[in-house]
Amino acid sequence: MSLLSLAQALRVSFQNLTRPKNTEPLPWKGSRERAERYRASFALVHDEHGEEACIGCMLCEKICPSQIISVTQGPKAPSAATGKPRGWCTDFTLDLNACIICELCVQVCPADAIIMMRVQEKPGFAREDLLLTMEKLYANEKLAKLTWATPTKLQEMQDPKPKRPEPVAAAPAKDAAPIKDAAPAAGASSAKDAAPGAESAPAAGTTPSKDAEPAKEVPPVKETPPASDAAPAAGTEKPSDA
Amino acid sequence: MTVGTTYETPRAGERKGEVRTVNVGGMRVPYHLTLLERPDPYLDIDSYDPEADLMALNMGPQHPSTHGVLRVKLYLDGETCIKAVPYLGYLHRGVEKLCEKLTYVQITPIVDKNDYVSPMMNELAINMAFEALLKVEVPPRALFIRTVCAEIQRVASHLLWLGTFGLDVGGGIGGGATLFMHTFREREMCLDLFENLTGCRFHYNTHQVGGNRHDIPEGWDQKVKRALGHIASRVDEYEAFVENPIFKARTIGVGVIDPILAMELGVCGPILRASGIDFDLRRDAPYAAYDKVEINVPVETAGDAYARYLVRVREMRESIRIALTLLDGVPEGPISALKPVKGPTNVKPKPGEAYVSIESPRGELGTYVISDGSPNPYRCKLRPPSLHAAALLPYLAPGSMVSDIVATLGSLDFILGEVDR
Amino acid sequence: MMEGGLLFGNPWLHGLIMGVIVLSGAMGVAAYAVWFERKFAARMQNRPGPTEVGYGGLLQPIADLLKLLQKEHLIPRSADRPLFNLAPVLVVIAPLATLAVIPFGPGLVGTDPSIGLLFALAISSLMVIPVWMAGWASNNKYALLGAMRAAAQAISYEIPLLLAAMVPIVLTGSFRVGDIVAAQEGGRWFAFWPPGPGFFAFLLFFFASLAESNRIPFDIPEAESELVAGVTTEYSGMIFGLIYLAEYLHTFIASALAALLFLGGWQGPGPDGIHWMLLKSLLVFAVIFWIRWSWLRYRSDQLMAMCWKIFLPLGLVLVMASAIWVQLR
Ligand code: SF4
Ligand code: SF4
Repeated sequence: MSLLSLAQALRVSFQNLTRPKNTEPLPWKGSRERAERYRASFALVHDEHGEEACIGCMLCEKICPSQIISVTQGPKAPSAATGKPRGWCTDFTLDLNACIICELCVQVCPADAIIMMRVQEKPGFAREDLLLTMEKLYANEKLAKLTWATPTKLQEMQDPKPKRPEPVAAAPAKDAAPIKDAAPAAGASSAKDAAPGAESAPAAGTTPSKDAEPAKEVPPVKETPPASDAAPAAGTEKPSDA
Repeated sequence: MTVGTTYETPRAGERKGEVRTVNVGGMRVPYHLTLLERPDPYLDIDSYDPEADLMALNMGPQHPSTHGVLRVKLYLDGETCIKAVPYLGYLHRGVEKLCEKLTYVQITPIVDKNDYVSPMMNELAINMAFEALLKVEVPPRALFIRTVCAEIQRVASHLLWLGTFGLDVGGGIGGGATLFMHTFREREMCLDLFENLTGCRFHYNTHQVGGNRHDIPEGWDQKVKRALGHIASRVDEYEAFVENPIFKARTIGVGVIDPILAMELGVCGPILRASGIDFDLRRDAPYAAYDKVEINVPVETAGDAYARYLVRVREMRESIRIALTLLDGVPEGPISALKPVKGPTNVKPKPGEAYVSIESPRGELGTYVISDGSPNPYRCKLRPPSLHAAALLPYLAPGSMVSDIVATLGSLDFILGEVDR
Repeated sequence: MMEGGLLFGNPWLHGLIMGVIVLSGAMGVAAYAVWFERKFAARMQNRPGPTEVGYGGLLQPIADLLKLLQKEHLIPRSADRPLFNLAPVLVVIAPLATLAVIPFGPGLVGTDPSIGLLFALAISSLMVIPVWMAGWASNNKYALLGAMRAAAQAISYEIPLLLAAMVPIVLTGSFRVGDIVAAQEGGRWFAFWPPGPGFFAFLLFFFASLAESNRIPFDIPEAESELVAGVTTEYSGMIFGLIYLAEYLHTFIASALAALLFLGGWQGPGPDGIHWMLLKSLLVFAVIFWIRWSWLRYRSDQLMAMCWKIFLPLGLVLVMASAIWVQLR
């Protein structure tokens, strides 16, 4: 019997000769399919008026656990497009050497300025290659459609009480939304919240503070479920349309 | 829960018949293990037989089988170990101090790196402690997601353990490497699931105070079902590969831990369960969504490396079952009880303290936090199960050969990142 | 064509030419054995294996060789320099000398003395001395432990190996390898023909030579999870490559001997010749790799216990059984 079990080991390894290869030589040949939410590198984006979206609020610098972002705040100046005064960022560096890809900087950005993208990591040949300066970050913007999480989207996903009745009501007419990135995000959130709204009964027992709110929102939200499939795709493609 | 060995060990052979148990501190402990002779970990080497030609061998910090940077100083008489002294601290990163400096929001991605084989558990433990401080109730959807993730992580962690244990007893250029590659192939599936959920294969930062940061994406549950079903079938294959006379010869009767010693040292998890003590926090002090499922805790009484192997493999199956059961019942609803984080100082608990412990793949992973009302903890003490497992080494190594020490080290499954913090 | 088993009348000329052919052939086989093993193991583990150098990594052994040649040859300060440098050279000499008496086909042999088999086993087991030398000269504890294990293992497994080889010797009545192969004429391979002892002797020979050549499940001297790299811990560059090469040569010789003694050597269905010999020995070689990448490793005391408690008595019984067979025939 015991010798038979030794033969079993031989059988298992022989069986595996016929299985497909499980590894691929990277990055020269083949490539691994990245998950939709994969996050690797950063970009800074322009807003819908073609201005730099970053308002230099330094929140990302403050929250970064590795303290690798440095933002230089510029003086407030009116935006060329809207004329309203807003903050500007004069310098922005992000040191990928020490980044732990925690997504916190993306999570907190109030202006949807910094995003993480689904790109393949590239090895650098010098430390400077991994130091993302402001130019590099803006150059990365052309990859922006590879992103999954804009800050708004992340926050919408986590929000226990989605509190934006206007975008929800305006969800069918997406172009009416004030911020470009927020439009698909709102669409996604409304679609997501639609489902919980419909089935909020089991959740209500343990989260007493919230059972009133979703219940109120159920009627307007219920029309949007068809959008739920398209929402993530819309989120990634919208910036390229503009 | 039945208590008893399912295979013949040298010690079980002496007893014949059913396992007698004695009551130690309310725990049923197999009788034969209470009689074990305990080596003296503080043996004075100078007073040891002066005739013996002892050799001091520094195993580690760079050694293929110390699983990181553990250094064990072995005093060898021939190939038999007389005394073993583990030296810790080569991987000390000051995580507890860092926790005092960072805010509650920033800590999660940092503690990810403690037990770098199951980051999901670190996040869960520390965030549960913060939630206990804040007294927030986590929405059920988040609890279910957390539990499913934790179980998948347990499978991934045990898969990694099985592979590296194969390396330890079977060699990196040999059957062990084949087992290693096979388990990593399946572990990769678990990591792909996490990648789909959180965007990272490892060090996810997906838990936050009050809930989760990422909701389940579309079709994820189908992926989980497919992957876990696949892994369940592959576990049979590992058993066919491993359970043969060679593996048994290397593990049965090796590194026998008596449960009383284990309890004295605070060892828990699969090691304790392999020594005959039926203790599992998931069942005995349910957290997250574990009270929603029935949990069968595998227990073995032999206390040797083979028993630990059996316990872990059964736990893998059990985890797959739990994850699949919970996955069907994930309720709809929000995934976080608090407002989304918009700044580093968003979370500010009232002054107080909390201790929360969870069952990580290695045992009780505890977090003790004291808050003084500021946005960063006043003190954050982590209780890693691996540290206690590493403490067993001076008791297990004396009297065994170098090969057995390696097998014992492997079967204890400690993670140095967690031991040293 | 052959006069007294010589291809070229003059034994000196014959020895020289055959030496060149056999040595270069064996070196090539050893180098490509590494490639084959890497590919084979990789496929078992669902990996692609070497792919970069040449088609399917076929030039990998040459690239490895060049890499090893370029590497610095480090000698630890506390090592015993002369011994440290001498050991790897001696390690290769043992298997290369053994190749002299191993025939790869009718007449394809350096020399076929009347004690050929004895010579082969004796010389190949000499390998343990330079291995011990290397372990001692490295002045490294892991190397020393590995060398001690290697010596203990090689010495004890010498006996079952010899006993297993005794079975074909008894059945043939000659130590000459050529005679042993000739006695297996007509498909009566010793692995199968005297039904009982032959087969078990084959298994015994196979496993004992696994232990002799330090292959899994008996690769205890270089158990890299315990002893880092055993005797080779301190070696680097080409001098490490020599030890590595010697191991592969040793394994190849063991499989060639198994093919000669038990599987009918160069005889086979259809025309006899070197192709059968190569096929059989490479098949045994492949099985060794298959086992190597499928099994785990024994502990050294278990290995010794197995040798003295199982293999040795089995060997004695087999020799007795074959002697009885010869008497009764
Ligand atoms: S993802 Fe990188 S840059 Fe952003 S907060 Fe985390 S560590 Fe800092
Ligand atoms: S990237 Fe966002 S968070 Fe960072 S400074 Fe600019 S606006 Fe503020």
